[in-house]
Amino acid sequence: MSDELKPGVEPAVARFPAPIWIIVVMLVLLYFGGIYFDRHGGWFDRRVYFPYTSAGELAVYQPQSGASASLTHGRTIYENVCGTCHGSDGLGKANQAPPLAGSEWVAKDVVSLARVPLLGLNGPITVAGQGWNLGMAPMGAGLSDADLAAVLSYLRTSWGNQSPPVSEEDAKAARAAISGSAPTEANLKKMTPVERGRLVFQKYGCSQCHGRDGIGGVSNPNAKTAELIPGLIYIADGYNRDELTAFIRRGERVIPRKNPAGPEPPHFMPQWGKIVTPDELNDLADFLFSLKPKGSDIGF
Amino acid sequence: MQKNNYGGLWLSVFAITVWGAGVARAEDSLDAETKARVEKFEKGPSTVNVSKYPQGIQDNYEVFSTKCMQCHKLSRPINCDFVLADEWSRYVKRMMRKPGSGIDSADGKKIYEFLVYDSSVRKKTMLDKKLAQATPADKTAAEAKIKEVRDKYDK
Repeated sequence: MSDELKPGVEPAVARFPAPIWIIVVMLVLLYFGGIYFDRHGGWFDRRVYFPYTSAGELAVYQPQSGASASLTHGRTIYENVCGTCHGSDGLGKANQAPPLAGSEWVAKDVVSLARVPLLGLNGPITVAGQGWNLGMAPMGAGLSDADLAAVLSYLRTSWGNQSPPVSEEDAKAARAAISGSAPTEANLKKMTPVERGRLVFQKYGCSQCHGRDGIGGVSNPNAKTAELIPGLIYIADGYNRDELTAFIRRGERVIPRKNPAGPEPPHFMPQWGKIVTPDELNDLADFLFSLKPKGSDIGF
Repeated sequence: MQKNNYGGLWLSVFAITVWGAGVARAEDSLDAETKARVEKFEKGPSTVNVSKYPQGIQDNYEVFSTKCMQCHKLSRPINCDFVLADEWSRYVKRMMRKPGSGIDSADGKKIYEFLVYDSSVRKKTMLDKKLAQATPADKTAAEAKIKEVRDKYDK
């Protein structure tokens, strides 16, 4: 017989606390639910359905034609190369990279825009009314004309940007206007690995961070390495070829901080493995090894 | 009966869930291989018992402890898989050439000699295994470098 019907027991209306174990179980379920949701939920994107976990994963399977195929390709390149700093939402990152969404730089003519990924960009600029003073390596120097066109088109038509897309011909013309004539295959073959490596060093703007011919001295506020980006002239002492090429391919995304409570150092080593070809990397290693000053051996 | 208010509790449940999701995301951005390798080394002991080593090597151990601990845990080099003289030479130079390392050539050499000596005693098994895998020429060269350090300090 339930309490309410027992004689002598006054029926009561009240709220009783839920048992603690239920709360604990809910807590644990919610915690793992949260993790599961983050990995598989697609973050409320209604285009995403089981067993797929993100819109990006699904995009590969969508039937595509001309322009949209190129844009999807552009997006892939963007997320691999540009997105690390500028963000997959194009909003940039404080003290590291200005936004591309709503940036007047993205709306410029193709030659002016292509100059940034092809040659890099250093020094003070203004983006959407805000001042930035940073350095960017020529992260797009290794892209083909078609890839360059695809990625530029992607950022000109994404996140509310409404500039016309860039054709492969436009990209080719822009590259010719900016870089002049690159050395031919035959000329490259005649060069020594060190000479070719020097061209690779210039092409990808390594000197922007590591100094001319790797002498160092470029500032990286709050980096543990005396707030400097390391120079490269003693690379031959510290790395063999495998270690060096593996490091350049992998990069170093997180730079240790001098003051752990201070801001993240603005410069980091990009993951060049996505950008530089294996042959270029090999030549680059030869060039870097050649930088060691003569007579600088220290007896061990 | 007193009315219970679970608002604060549910808020903390929500916060923990969001945190869990954040942890899951953060893990994705790390270089897993390097992280796992370093963490494995750092779990090991963080000192070496040098009481049986020659006095010179004990002095070098002091330099090693003070200089290397400025930037990373001592357990990392103590337990890592470097044993050959060349591996230590590269590693020590790589560290000392970092701007602001505060390690000059003389200190670098002391650290190198300690590490080579220590590897030839404490990590002998690992060293022998690596030497056995090397080509004959490399093996001779590697043994010569170890001998050079041992001869300097062993009486």
